[in-house]
Amino acid sequence: MLSSITSLYHKLFDKFWNPVLVTVIAGVLSALYFGITQTYWAVTGEFTRLAGHIMSWFGFDPHQLSYMKIMKFQGSPLDRVDGWVVSGMLLGALMSALLGGNFKLRFPHQKRRIVQGLVGGMIAGFGARLAMGCNLASFFTGIPQFSFHAWLFMLGMATGSYVGVKAALHPLLRGKPRLEKASPGTRNMQSSRSRVQPVIGLLVFCISIGLIVWEISGGHSKLGLAGIFGVAFGLLIQRGQICFTSAFRDLWVTGRGTMAKALALGIIAATLCTAVIIYLGVPQKIAWAGPGALIGGLLFGFGIVIAGGCETGWMYRAMEGQIQFVIVGIGNIIGAGILAWGWDHWGLFASLVKPYPKINLVSELGWSGAILSTVGLMLLWYAFASYWEKHVRYKANQKGQAVLMQANVEMKELS
Amino acid sequence: MNGNQIIPTYTLNLEGEPCPYPVVYSLDVLEKLASGEILEIIADCPQSFQAVPEEAKRMGYVLLCEPVQEGPIIRFYILKP
Repeated sequence: MLSSITSLYHKLFDKFWNPVLVTVIAGVLSALYFGITQTYWAVTGEFTRLAGHIMSWFGFDPHQLSYMKIMKFQGSPLDRVDGWVVSGMLLGALMSALLGGNFKLRFPHQKRRIVQGLVGGMIAGFGARLAMGCNLASFFTGIPQFSFHAWLFMLGMATGSYVGVKAALHPLLRGKPRLEKASPGTRNMQSSRSRVQPVIGLLVFCISIGLIVWEISGGHSKLGLAGIFGVAFGLLIQRGQICFTSAFRDLWVTGRGTMAKALALGIIAATLCTAVIIYLGVPQKIAWAGPGALIGGLLFGFGIVIAGGCETGWMYRAMEGQIQFVIVGIGNIIGAGILAWGWDHWGLFASLVKPYPKINLVSELGWSGAILSTVGLMLLWYAFASYWEKHVRYKANQKGQAVLMQANVEMKELS
Repeated sequence: MNGNQIIPTYTLNLEGEPCPYPVVYSLDVLEKLASGEILEIIADCPQSFQAVPEEAKRMGYVLLCEPVQEGPIIRFYILKP
């Protein structure tokens, strides 16, 4: 019995999981989550509400902002479904990082990375909320809602991340690698794992279960369920290293299409399952399809590449002990707060969002049209990623380079 | 190849570097190496555990042995053929 548990543990936590498998499971789970809670898997809405709490600490009443009314800002995170899913994700990712022995406090040794994390995080948080969601609500769970705004967001994100890569590889940001002559002598070539971390991971697991059981037995079964889904999502994104940022960024940096293809398949799974849930009568979530979604996507795509990770990305990396991503998270909350302010005060809603329709592909194209076009878009993206992988290599070969978008880092150590 | 026989020429320490810099730095350094030189890469960003060897192999470099994992840190030994 004990030996079979140990072998299962090693099977699950020695290596990271196949990203295609993980995105497909996440896609199916996100549809179930939508069916149970009637809201989609999202995180930045909750970040906006956190910004609201911070505003009230400084004596500003966030209830005056119309954006906070749209976000149904009330209570504390523990009274809200999104609050439980976010907390669950953090706990799930922490548990997963510890069980896998991946936890380590990591500080960026180049100070510019801290600025990048904060500024990139702010731009991404602002952009995501302008588009009414990050690459969950406006992409991974937004596209399966058949809301056309997610298509605009995806287009904006693809373009913005390309510009972001150009900026991230600019001499100001790319910095210098730590390259040295290798020290002589033999190296320990035996892999080893932490023995303590899995025990703490198990403890985090028990605490999570305890909190959820306590919430459900207190009569808040929906919140408890959101917590369970959150833990599962956190486990999945950490184990699969599901970085939505890299789905776009890697295409532009080296032509790597692994994550892009995995996400395309995950979104197809989510689309088919979400369609069933909607058909059974759960109302869709449709957002304004206008310049807000497009510009929001552009800013978001740019910001996440500069920061090094998007909302889900920072959540699991912060739990792995990567300090830079704690800063990205703080940036996200500030950015979302600025947007909530500018929504009224800079007329963002009146100019970029309000005049434009909420386009529901199901009512526009019918069920078959909506499903075929959405699945078609994802297949097209998959095909583009496959083509692009080969195209980048071919172009680079022609130029006699290893990669197309070179960083041209100067290395004195090599001369 | 037995790990004890590997004598790296350079060490690239990527500890604390977030994406996409581990892959960018690794490929950049590998491109500048002379044929036959070996690069030792030390990384602690879990995403680079997959991306770095995958991209190095795709570009025609040779992974000399299984990556060595010491807790949350990983080491790669990559040869420029």
